[in-house]
Amino acid sequence: MSAGDFIAILQGAVVTVTLSLVGILIGLPIGLGLALLRWGNVPVLARIVAVYVSMLRATPLVTLLLLLFFALPNIGIEIDPISAAILALVMNTAAFNCEVWRAALMNFPKDQFEAAQSVGMRAAQRFRRIVLPQIVRVSLPGLVNEMSLLIKVTPVLAVVGVVDITRAAVRIGAETYEPLPPFLVAVALYAPIVFFLVSLQRWIERRQAAAEAAA
Amino acid sequence: MAGTSKVLDVAGVSKRFGDVEVLSDVSFQVDKGETVCVLGPSGSGKSTLLRCINWLEQPDAGQIYVSGSQVGVNRAGLVMNDRELSAVRTRIGMVFQHFALWPHLTVLQNLMEAPIQVQRRPKGEVRDEALALLTKVGLMDKQNVFPSRLSGGQKQRVGIARALAMRPDLLLFDEPTSALDPELVTEVLAVMRDLAREGRTMVIVTHEMGFAREAATRVLFLDRGRVVETGPPNVFFAHPETERARQFLQRYAGETSAGRRSA
Amino acid sequence: MIRDFGIVWSERDLLLSGLANTTILSVLSAGAALLLGFMLTPALMSKRRPLAWAARGFVDGMRCVPFLLFAYIVYYGFPSLGVRLDNWTSGLLALTIYNAAYMAEILRGAWAAQPPEPIEAGVAFGFSRFRLFRRIILPSLLLAAGPVIGNQMIQIIKDSAFLTIIALPELTHAASSIQSRHYVPFAAFITAVFLYWGLCLVVEAGVSWIGRLAEARR
Repeated sequence: MSAGDFIAILQGAVVTVTLSLVGILIGLPIGLGLALLRWGNVPVLARIVAVYVSMLRATPLVTLLLLLFFALPNIGIEIDPISAAILALVMNTAAFNCEVWRAALMNFPKDQFEAAQSVGMRAAQRFRRIVLPQIVRVSLPGLVNEMSLLIKVTPVLAVVGVVDITRAAVRIGAETYEPLPPFLVAVALYAPIVFFLVSLQRWIERRQAAAEAAA
Repeated sequence: MAGTSKVLDVAGVSKRFGDVEVLSDVSFQVDKGETVCVLGPSGSGKSTLLRCINWLEQPDAGQIYVSGSQVGVNRAGLVMNDRELSAVRTRIGMVFQHFALWPHLTVLQNLMEAPIQVQRRPKGEVRDEALALLTKVGLMDKQNVFPSRLSGGQKQRVGIARALAMRPDLLLFDEPTSALDPELVTEVLAVMRDLAREGRTMVIVTHEMGFAREAATRVLFLDRGRVVETGPPNVFFAHPETERARQFLQRYAGETSAGRRSA
Repeated sequence: MIRDFGIVWSERDLLLSGLANTTILSVLSAGAALLLGFMLTPALMSKRRPLAWAARGFVDGMRCVPFLLFAYIVYYGFPSLGVRLDNWTSGLLALTIYNAAYMAEILRGAWAAQPPEPIEAGVAFGFSRFRLFRRIILPSLLLAAGPVIGNQMIQIIKDSAFLTIIALPELTHAASSIQSRHYVPFAAFITAVFLYWGLCLVVEAGVSWIGRLAEARR
């Protein structure tokens, strides 16, 4: 593996990280929106969200990606690999995030809600100032966990031609007839990123546990 | 060989945890039918002593014999293996402070599990005996209930029945009522009193002075890992010989008359 | 659109064999991973530092590696060690080794949450090592860890789809093949999605059942 190959893999890494970030940033608020729809028991929509989330959580990302990439052009929507990748990532992570947000919402202590109502706060205010800060705190470990899981599934984007780490590694392997080294390099690049997120999650959990013990 | 006629023979048992000597040269014997109550302040090593008898804790020195067989060391003089310990332990019944019932089994299954699995006794016989024991402790109607649905007093009565189901030579009680709410203590002590009356051989670590006074045939007073005093309860409670025993009784005398009614 | 589904229906044998492969692969690797996990957990909690560190390194390592890359490494790596493996075997191996790490962590967590008293009672009543494990420890452990193991099972089913990359004829591969030959992408993949959903619903039903057993005893 030459230096040029290594750089190709690094470039792929940049693509991977960028796509992951985009997926995470878009997926977080959408997941919250879905969770609110279910928690608020909005008629019809709540049921649709429930079914959507159940299906998305059961669908492998690669299957979803292939579905979007091949089926959308078929019904007239042209889509390039990158957009298909982002769409698949967002649909996937939003469903998982929804469940994390929903757990936090369901465990939200009712009396706090009532206290806010009784001092005359209106719905939007209640949400913004009382509910949101606390469910963000509670959801944090689960959301960070989901982020690390998202990064771990990005290799699959190579399947539709996105030139991320995996695609670069596959190409180099095919060219040099030595498939193993580029994959090992790819792992060496992925592992620290995931490790960072996993450590972050553990740190958050420890801090929250300590805060709770002190309280 | 020492102690062949005794149910329990403890000789020179010592145990340290780190640099704390929890038991120092403890010796005593228990005859068949005796009810020995082990009393003492916290940290005196009472529970550790009990747990050494069935080798849940391994003593650092001394010998222990149950019905003539040594516990923990086999005939060759080597430390017993899993199987040998298992055989000895089936003769010793234990009742735990926190009940320790098996949560995945019903009350009846809790009673039947060890006799069937460890003693390999036939299921029908074990079942009949288990039902009889449940009737004896007054919990026949709870036989198919899971332990989590029982009150503390009920759990402990099941714990006692479970120990009896093994037909043990010796029954050990490790502070059986310490984890119970005061109003539930009575029902458990009543069962234990019946057992004493029936002539069961029992060693009971307890803080229930009233019970010890009434039901024990002998009292063992432990302080800082040593047997300080021993004797029949009427002697011990009325005329303690040692200063430590006197101090201890003074502290608890208030409790028996004021706080807990010793039914 | 109806015509498309008609085409998929005509290829149902291929889809069903893909489904069968996915199911068999998932069940086998889940079972093997659980077994390996049971062997790994004592190592994780061992007092012997080197052993515990090695186990912890393996578990954390698997957690940080994307499964797809790991599958590639197993598939391409073993031949360089001189062992020829077909795609089925390397897929099964990759799934098993990868998830053994997760199972070990799950079991360790469940074990740490076990109250020690009932186990000590087991020892006091004469249960020796193997019987103690089988009759006293294991049932409690499985009841506690059931839901989490179920989730891991769903993860395994989804990870198996990655193996289409190494041309393993599982469900996604079958759907891909149908769509590339007949140009019916939506029908083919949506059918696959529904089949995956069905599999997961079965697993979730199993998890619910264990959850009910656990709840009765809680």
